[in-house]
Amino acid sequence: MLRDTLKTLLAAYGPSGNEHTVAETVKGLIASHVDSMRVDAMGNLIVEKLGTDENGKRIMFSAHMDHIGFVVTDIDENGFLRVHNVGGVNPVISNARHVVFENGVEGVIYCQPLKGENPAMKYLFIDIGAEDRADAERSVQVGDMAVYAPDFFELGENRVASPAMDDRCACALLCEMLMYLDETPNTVVAVFSTQEEVGCRGAMTAAYSVRPDMGVALDVTAWGDTPEVKLPAVKLGKGPAVKFIDSSMIATPAVRDLMLRAAEEAGVAAQREVLPFGGTDGSSIQRSRAGVPTGTLSIPCRYVHSPAEVIDMRDMEGALKLLLKLVEIA
Amino acid sequence: MELKQLCEIHAPSGDEGQLRKLLLEEGKRLCGAENARIDRSGNVVCTRKGTQPGKPHVCVSAHMDEVGFIIEAATEDGLLRFHPIGGIDPRVVVSKRVLVGHDLLPGVIGAMAIHLQSAADRNRVLGFDGLYIDIGAKDKAEALAKCPVGTYAYFDTPYQPFGDGFVCAKALDDRVGCYTILELMRETYPCDVTFVFAVQEEVGCRGSHGAAYGVQPDIVLNLEGTAANDLGCVDDQFKVCRPTQGVAVSFMDGSSIGQRKLFKEILDLAEHEHIPHQIKRGVTGSNDASAYQRAAAGCLTCVLSVPCRYIHSGASVAYLEDIQSQYELVHAFLMHA
Amino acid sequence: MRTEDFLRQVTALPGLSGNEGEVARFIAEAFRPYCDEVTIDPLNSVIGHIRGNGPKVMLCAHLDEIGLMVSDIEKDGSLRMRSVGGVDPRILPGMRVTVYGRERLMGVIGAKAPHLLSAADREKNYAREDLYVDLGMSAQRVRELVQIGDCIALEGGFTKLLNDRYASKTIDDRGCVAILLRTMEALQRIDTQADLYFVASCQEEVGSIGAMTSAYGIYPDFAVALDVNHAKTPGSPDLETFDLGSPLATMGPFIHPMLRRRLGEIAKENNITLQSAVAPRYTYTDADNIGLARDGVPSVLLELPLKYMHTSVETFDMHALTECARLLTAYCAAIDDSWRDELWN
Repeated sequence: MLRDTLKTLLAAYGPSGNEHTVAETVKGLIASHVDSMRVDAMGNLIVEKLGTDENGKRIMFSAHMDHIGFVVTDIDENGFLRVHNVGGVNPVISNARHVVFENGVEGVIYCQPLKGENPAMKYLFIDIGAEDRADAERSVQVGDMAVYAPDFFELGENRVASPAMDDRCACALLCEMLMYLDETPNTVVAVFSTQEEVGCRGAMTAAYSVRPDMGVALDVTAWGDTPEVKLPAVKLGKGPAVKFIDSSMIATPAVRDLMLRAAEEAGVAAQREVLPFGGTDGSSIQRSRAGVPTGTLSIPCRYVHSPAEVIDMRDMEGALKLLLKLVEIA
Repeated sequence: MELKQLCEIHAPSGDEGQLRKLLLEEGKRLCGAENARIDRSGNVVCTRKGTQPGKPHVCVSAHMDEVGFIIEAATEDGLLRFHPIGGIDPRVVVSKRVLVGHDLLPGVIGAMAIHLQSAADRNRVLGFDGLYIDIGAKDKAEALAKCPVGTYAYFDTPYQPFGDGFVCAKALDDRVGCYTILELMRETYPCDVTFVFAVQEEVGCRGSHGAAYGVQPDIVLNLEGTAANDLGCVDDQFKVCRPTQGVAVSFMDGSSIGQRKLFKEILDLAEHEHIPHQIKRGVTGSNDASAYQRAAAGCLTCVLSVPCRYIHSGASVAYLEDIQSQYELVHAFLMHA
Repeated sequence: MRTEDFLRQVTALPGLSGNEGEVARFIAEAFRPYCDEVTIDPLNSVIGHIRGNGPKVMLCAHLDEIGLMVSDIEKDGSLRMRSVGGVDPRILPGMRVTVYGRERLMGVIGAKAPHLLSAADREKNYAREDLYVDLGMSAQRVRELVQIGDCIALEGGFTKLLNDRYASKTIDDRGCVAILLRTMEALQRIDTQADLYFVASCQEEVGSIGAMTSAYGIYPDFAVALDVNHAKTPGSPDLETFDLGSPLATMGPFIHPMLRRRLGEIAKENNITLQSAVAPRYTYTDADNIGLARDGVPSVLLELPLKYMHTSVETFDMHALTECARLLTAYCAAIDDSWRDELWN
């Protein structure tokens, strides 16, 4: 079940550059459904499901395993940890949150309220309950990373909230796609990529070694359906969104149109996304080697880069059908 | 080659010709003529075959370029307008001496006398658009005849040891790394090693971008001179690294996150071999590791730096024994890799 | 084809970055009579090959243009938009546009009337959020004909001014594609050693993506990028703008010194006035990314001065364009195997 797969993946620790726990979780879920799995120097998990026709297309799908977090840059004499952001962390949103390290050490990230000044990264610190520096150093070292503590809750019948929804929801889609994929002439290369949040870095090396004929990135996108927010014209529950453009990439028309056709043939409502900002692994795939026709399929997600990123499971189910059809008709 | 000689050669990004020639000669001398070459990006690339099979291919890289200036135009009264090459803070160039062009024509960067400044002027940063190089030319024609548009200019500062084991020089970022590589090239290691002296790091890691694709190693150790920010009663959390405390090992910076496993291995090795070292705390700034890590199918990277105060100025400061620590740690790694 | 006719036709075609199919096909046909082979690559760059036995050289000018894309359709049928590439919102109010919906539709960019704005608001420029496209039809008709993601091209029109100067949209950089075309035409009558790849690259305005991928595919020994640079206009910074009437070539770390020196020498031999510019870092042209392809491609940049860049009235001097082509032709003819050996001397 998509929801169970999602829950399993959301529980795994994985800030940018430290995604191996997520990779292990993914491997456990899909090992029996694929022909090969390998991890490259950047930590990408690259999975192949061979097509029946050796002249079939080689389609690379990418969903990133990493999410945003905090890296420890200093431990003071009283045992408080100073941090720097890993990826696009909003210090206002981060204030007074529950965080966790890879080894399970938990902490509170906090910023002393400042008169007339917003919290900035340099004022944030993590309190892990240590007595002093020596005590803290028994649990945490400079260079270790913390993330918002895993959490999962349901909003009404269809919506779910969690940190790391960006982009574990797409990892879940990719896992499910591999499970349900019938034999097709086309080879599917599923890349569970690393370091997207710091600049789509993992997808660069993955795309280079995969050498796909076509690329599809799976990621969340912003929303335009809450108070004060109008753009992008994308709403939760109205179906997955086919991306036309964001700040990192203009979808290759042929791929984008193929996605729209797949949606139609699969009987899935799809939205059209024109995003005024943002970027996805698609950019890294499109400009790989001599160029790869590439598009991005988005899951609308509210409150991206917060500890409560909200998606609608109906969009996930629509996306899964769309993707299965896409592989078939590509 | 001595560090003094390396620092005193002028090689801002895009104008590395003279240093490239010297490093190529040194490479040929130490690695054999057939094992040293200039690649398509202008880097000097030298290879040393390992003694044991089955070892990873390690690349040790340092950038040869430094920050500097380029002449854009001349004013009617013969002053030269210029741009910085690389990230130079305009506040550090006022009232400094420079050398212009390959003929090393002396020039100065002056400023309006403090007596003539208004109170507002005194508080304002003089930007590059308000600064000029004065070579003593009488007019525009003479200035441009001596220094045509596109001529490079350099900090004119000698290499000077001072204090207790410190040195002050321009271009310590990254001639310290070049110096370490030249020392490393004297030996043979179990693994295959490619030594790269990269061009154009200061303008966006362009040389290493090409070298990375050309070499495609398994592991890259990128040797740097990095900003220290340790003096002046800076709050501990903002000290990036400290001269005298040994080679700085990075876990992350503005453009790459070192693979965790390699980072830990290198820390353990330094510990085990009793090599003075520290973890670099600051995570801003970028360097050639970014290009290496993500070129082609990717590789493992770690940045090992000599802490340098006042980098990107004409007077950067380093502790000589930290350079020795950088050498020792890389040497130990190549022996154990 | 006469350069003027080519430009009149090619600037009228839509080719928003990332959606350049139509203009790419037109340029491929224009290249075909002069090339041994013409291909359109997976991302819409056009590559014309004139075979030779010497160094492989890539000559590159981009075919894409800046413009707008429909980002939302309001209840009243007005269209919201985002820019594709660096569009100056100041040029938009009152501009005619073409919306490429199910049909080609004329539209006008509207904004709240100045009479209804406060004095303070009238002092400010419109932000893109304040602007919309008016298609002159009912909301229902708009919804039938237009969808989110449809391309919007800026006002066309190719106008001849005095003194062989012309104004049009998309001279950046189809003016330089015209230089490529003139050059390949001239090369028909000249023996060359170089193995020449003429690339009309896609997606330059959004990060030089086509040039990067084409350079990877071609893997040339050297490259010449062609783009426009700013000609002098009143109030523009004097040192960073240039004479409209003659070719220009940038110097700086991203430009290979030997290739740039040769460009100056060859200009001199042919009595071509060549202006010099300096870029201490990025040139913001295809040269930046071509130089980074594979293990590096030594590159040089030749520029056509242009007034009013990124507007629909980009203005150039035909004499400067033909001089660029004459210089590029002489440059191509001069390239031989010795250039490879002299790169780093």
